[in-house]
Amino acid sequence: MSKPTANWEKVGDKFYRKVQLYTAVFDQDLELENYFVVGAPYSGALAIFRDEEKLHAFRGARAAKSTIDIYSCAGKLIRRINWDKGTIKGLGWSDDEKLLVVTEDGAVRCYYHLQGDFVPFSLGHESEEIGVHSCKFYSSGFVALLNNNHLITVSNYDEPRPKLLALPPSDPVVSWAIIPPAYSLSRSVEVILAIEKTLYVVDATDAEDRAFSAGPFKHISVSPRAEFLAFYTEDGKVWVVSGDWSEKLSEYSSRVRTVPKDMQWCGSNAVALAWEDELHLIGPKSAATKFYYDSFLHLLPDVDGIRLLTNDVCEYIQKVPDETADVFRLGSDAPAAHLLEASTLLDQKSPKADDLIQLIRPSLDEAVDTCVRAAGHEYNIHWQKALLKAASFGKSVLDLYSSDDFVDMCDTLRVLNAVRFYEIGLPLSYDQFKRLTPEKLIERLTNRDEYLLALRISAYLRLPTDKIYVHWAQQKVRVSTDDEESICRLIVKKLHGKVGVSFEEIARAAHDEGRVRLATELLNYEPRAGKQVPLLLGMKEDTIALDKAIESGDTDLIYHVLLHIRKKLPLASFFRVINTRPIATALIEASAWSQDRDLLKDLYYQDDRRTDGASLLVSEALSQPSLTPALEKLKSASKYLHDAKDLTFTRTQIDDAAKLLRLQETFEKDLASSPTAQKFLGLSANETIFALTAAGHTKRAAKVVSEFKIPEKTHAWLRLRALVSARRWADIEDLAKTKKSAIGWEPYFNEVLAAGNTRVAGVFVGKCTGLGVRERVEMWGKCGMVVRGAEEAFRAKDGGLLGEVWEGVKGRGGEEEREVGRLVGLLGRK
Amino acid sequence: MSPITPLSAADIGEKARRDLLLLLEGVRGKKSLVFEKALAGPLNLLVKFSTLQEYGVDRAFFLENDNVDSSQRNVVFLVRGEKAQTVLAVANQIKRIQRDSQIEHEFSIIWVPRRTMVSDQLLEEAGVLGEASLNEWPLYFVPLADDVLSLELNDCPTDLYLRKDPTSTYLAAKALMLQQQKHGLFPRIFGKGDNAKRLVDLLIRMRTEVTAGESSGSEASFLGLTPSSTIDSLIVIDREVDFPTVLLTQLTYEGLIDEVFDISANQTEVDSSIVGGSAPTGQGGSASTSMKRKIAIDPKDALYSTLCDSNFAVVGNLLNKAARRLQSSTERNQLAAKTTAELRDFVAKLPGYQAEQASLKLHTSMAEEIIKFTRTDIFLRSLEVQQNLMSGADPTTQHDLIIELINRNVPLSTILRLLCLESTTNAGMRPKDLETFKRAVIQAYGPQHILTLSSLEKMGLLQPRGGVGLGTGTAAKPGSVTNYAPLRRNIKIWDDEVNEAEPNDISFVFSGYAPLSVRLIQSIIQKQTLANLVKPPSNPQASAQANPLAQGLRIFDDATKYVRGATFDESQTGEEKAVKARSMLNGSHNDSAKTIVVFFLGGITRAEIAALRFIGSKLKEVGGEGRGSRIIICSTGIVKGGSLVGGAIENDHFG
Repeated sequence: MSKPTANWEKVGDKFYRKVQLYTAVFDQDLELENYFVVGAPYSGALAIFRDEEKLHAFRGARAAKSTIDIYSCAGKLIRRINWDKGTIKGLGWSDDEKLLVVTEDGAVRCYYHLQGDFVPFSLGHESEEIGVHSCKFYSSGFVALLNNNHLITVSNYDEPRPKLLALPPSDPVVSWAIIPPAYSLSRSVEVILAIEKTLYVVDATDAEDRAFSAGPFKHISVSPRAEFLAFYTEDGKVWVVSGDWSEKLSEYSSRVRTVPKDMQWCGSNAVALAWEDELHLIGPKSAATKFYYDSFLHLLPDVDGIRLLTNDVCEYIQKVPDETADVFRLGSDAPAAHLLEASTLLDQKSPKADDLIQLIRPSLDEAVDTCVRAAGHEYNIHWQKALLKAASFGKSVLDLYSSDDFVDMCDTLRVLNAVRFYEIGLPLSYDQFKRLTPEKLIERLTNRDEYLLALRISAYLRLPTDKIYVHWAQQKVRVSTDDEESICRLIVKKLHGKVGVSFEEIARAAHDEGRVRLATELLNYEPRAGKQVPLLLGMKEDTIALDKAIESGDTDLIYHVLLHIRKKLPLASFFRVINTRPIATALIEASAWSQDRDLLKDLYYQDDRRTDGASLLVSEALSQPSLTPALEKLKSASKYLHDAKDLTFTRTQIDDAAKLLRLQETFEKDLASSPTAQKFLGLSANETIFALTAAGHTKRAAKVVSEFKIPEKTHAWLRLRALVSARRWADIEDLAKTKKSAIGWEPYFNEVLAAGNTRVAGVFVGKCTGLGVRERVEMWGKCGMVVRGAEEAFRAKDGGLLGEVWEGVKGRGGEEEREVGRLVGLLGRK
Repeated sequence: MSPITPLSAADIGEKARRDLLLLLEGVRGKKSLVFEKALAGPLNLLVKFSTLQEYGVDRAFFLENDNVDSSQRNVVFLVRGEKAQTVLAVANQIKRIQRDSQIEHEFSIIWVPRRTMVSDQLLEEAGVLGEASLNEWPLYFVPLADDVLSLELNDCPTDLYLRKDPTSTYLAAKALMLQQQKHGLFPRIFGKGDNAKRLVDLLIRMRTEVTAGESSGSEASFLGLTPSSTIDSLIVIDREVDFPTVLLTQLTYEGLIDEVFDISANQTEVDSSIVGGSAPTGQGGSASTSMKRKIAIDPKDALYSTLCDSNFAVVGNLLNKAARRLQSSTERNQLAAKTTAELRDFVAKLPGYQAEQASLKLHTSMAEEIIKFTRTDIFLRSLEVQQNLMSGADPTTQHDLIIELINRNVPLSTILRLLCLESTTNAGMRPKDLETFKRAVIQAYGPQHILTLSSLEKMGLLQPRGGVGLGTGTAAKPGSVTNYAPLRRNIKIWDDEVNEAEPNDISFVFSGYAPLSVRLIQSIIQKQTLANLVKPPSNPQASAQANPLAQGLRIFDDATKYVRGATFDESQTGEEKAVKARSMLNGSHNDSAKTIVVFFLGGITRAEIAALRFIGSKLKEVGGEGRGSRIIICSTGIVKGGSLVGGAIENDHFG
């Protein structure tokens, strides 16, 4: 077994290692130097596409057809996408392995699930005419540079909304890079453009000139978390600047005339410069090392390192993790190194093992932790085992140690080793795995149709399996040649009762494949209406969709279906559909009331809902701007109810409304020239009487009363209130001369008093014969006629009451006191 | 680990706040914020305007005013997406700005509480779908007080009962489901009313949908869909079951503030001549109009919290008491006698005293204004009619009074409340009487109210006896009307010996009438008390626990058969293993101190809140029947008689 340090290289005071992941990756015939190669983040798939500007050997017509090929890191072809859609100006991956292809005319295709299916969208913003120059991608979006230096950003692919960034100067861009929104200060994407000798930083709102003069910068590279920026100057120097632009950290001179083909960060610690077959790795403080290859190499940067691809090998360069360095570094005296040695000695049954353990005893737990973590960072299974064994040995010596990390690491390593296997070709590092998360790993496996492995790993890590089953079923539906019935039976048998399985997705796949019956059948197994409905609509099963939507109770869904059906069906059939479904009818009514009254009218007519139909007409009458059309509407409303016997009351009311309006119109006309001209239209019958009475048009008021059979009591009240409000005291006093009042005399007293006329109020006290003496005395008191009150009490011979009145006026002096006193005296004498 | 309190108002409010601010942060730079008037209340409750400003909101506009200008590049709409009308309004405004403005704008729409398919469809048809970035602000419950959560769907009663649009039912189910996902299933669900039944059916359906939608294995869902160990039950009451309670004039302090000044989202507007000069206008920032002053009805205000749920009759005394206490503790001559330590203590408390003083002054002037209102002849007359109707007097004896009120031209909503009250408590009105009243209303208030009356009939508020409305069936179906006569006996919804000062029963909130809705709830959670109330035990010692009426659901069953609408009682169980796991996680909870969630579909009145709080305080008593349970009141919104009939009133008029 070769030493773990065999592939280490010292750069400055740090070690870097070059792990050989796979050999014999590509066919030797493939001229990699003529291809664009991009790799998905987290050791994902590779997409290669031939650079059309370069010459290549003619291999017959078939080979000349251009394709985008997707390979695993081990060189296994996953998918081949035929391409005839124009010049590709951008090719990139998202975190979830969506492949984005941007063509010169601003059209974007987003290929998902590593399948041939894609979602197209356009960049807009005149990209079509101007043309796309190049694109830079980050985990969930990208930025496109147009030929006129306009920058367009797309920040998510589910609902792509291309946005234009601030406009930079239009001089040619030498090179450029982006800072992903997750790491920029502004929380939105920022672009660094090298133009002439300086650099511009562009975000959504402004383009700022950073005022550099050392340019032009041939390459710009941003470290994975944007802590550092690297620039390659014209004279062959690499500058490293901190992410906040505050200081220049180092400068390295490559002393090479030719500009490197590529410059990328290797993790966040080193910058890699690539020429055709030569690689410079520059660590902090300008320390550097060089690697040489036999063939053309491509750099595929990742979060914690860099993948290196040639025809022969796929290698991974990263800084040696601290734990690994602690354990394996030559001459290391870290406790973990001793622990590893002790474990080897134990295997050899050497007593020295115990000595070593005793030596590191105080820091043994730390040593175990280090060994466990170092095992995680190890690619070689032999050394993984050795490290875990050492950890296990150390653990057994400790009294108290939580083994959770150890167990987790064993689980993780099993998974990692399984997916690193060349047939799978996912050479994840431990850190990448942690960032990718196991769930996403499962997703990647299912996308590669590795169902069994995915299921096994899910079971092993206790993860949900529903998506794997769904993916499997979808694939089955797409490619199986069995008859539909048996496919359905097979799928249901396998998937029924499995929690979380979305039959809708499978049904959709079946539908897309043109297997409609299968889709309907599968859809029946879907419990979520929100999922069923859109597909059912797509399958033209409108009424079923409506029923499902109603079942779900989600009004949004119901509306959605109704809108859809409304557009498709003629009115009569539409009504037939909703007729039997009260909720649908109610919703249509509710929305049509404010938006589509004609529809409502037809609906009521069809259903023979006369009251509602009439109401609608009345409501329309109300919104008419002038009288004539309003009366027209009222007339038709009345006609609408013509032959419905049980609705005669409503009809009379509608007729009365028209009658009232006409009356009011006459009044307005008649009185137009009089000084009391006013608006009557819009008043109620009572208000009309009130207004007429107040203005003194008693006869006209009487006409309204008789026309509408206003009850006597109501009329009495109206007259009283109107006269009081108009302060026609004389008329009120006239009223007092009548013998009887329909509403008694108290209201007269109260209303007049409330209006503040005590004198007239007093007129009515005497007429309130229905009340007791006490009340009347109080009423007198309220209008300030204490003496009359006292007389009242005196007449009733109520000594107590008189006494109370006396109490009220005693000491006030004047006429009142004297008079009341006299009465008290009189009563007392009797 | 301390047990998580289910449906904690503070948590819910905080989450909603954070969600919104996060969304606002997502739009870079300064922005104009356009929101619906209906959302102003919740927004105000959750976020101060100054905070919005910190998050870049430059100016705020009402959607309804259609006046957002092009001063900012970013325009953010905050609207509910359920109704086509609002969606179209948004689309039109986007188009208007694009047409009129010189610069290119960035639009974003934040849909509340969810993005709907219809809104997408409508925006697409209007051609603006691609112009705006769309987000959701999942705002369901808004906390109004520590124990009151509201969905603030103010149109809910009109939508639900007039237009028969069940959107609010669905949103309510969704809101409750979210809480279930967080705190576990409601172990038992009781309820009354057809819409309530629909709500619960939806809840149960959603449970299967959620199970299907979520991935298995993840811990949250594994626990989320087992019965909760901290929640006792959910009780759903459909407003339709108990309209009279809404129609009555509320007699608690808070209820009367609502009746007189109108409270919306814990804020009321009072004429500044009543409450004095323009003190800093509290929260809000939206400038108060010249004469009105905005006053926050703050349930956290110490003084107010003692007042709000009391019957108004005793509020005067309480205010007096508070005034005396304040005076005695701040009086100068007392200060002289104090030691320096006491003095320091006193000074530390001074700001508190000042705040209390201000609050005292405010509430005294408001109470005075309310007294003025309650002394009016019209108020007294209408109260008289209400009390007579509720105590079971023959309704025809009240007709003259009502007609007189109509003749005196009192506000229409007062009349309609009385008429609807009579109709709903007596299973409809005699057709002849009904026609008389209808004619009187139309003649007095205008022909446009032909529509008002037909709307009320649709809502089931004002119907001829026998239910000949709508041209549907002839005879009233069983369970379609509430019969009040047996209810007065069975659950004693009328209490002659009401004690307003030291209440011993919920009847204090209406000075006699005990709200039916709350009685139904009592019959589930406070059986013993209710049983003893209905049938006072002959031997007080022996029967403390053994009133036969209190067994099982006897009272509930007895009562609900006379009340309209469906009755239901569902249990939600889960896997035994999961149940155990949950109770272990939450610590041993036994039976004590569980939460009872009460949901009022279609709105709750402030008087009912007061009554429920009264029950809550009794339940909390140690050793009592409730074992220290806590009641959380949830509703689609706060409702009162004026707003209920107001939804039906036609505001247009001829001419």
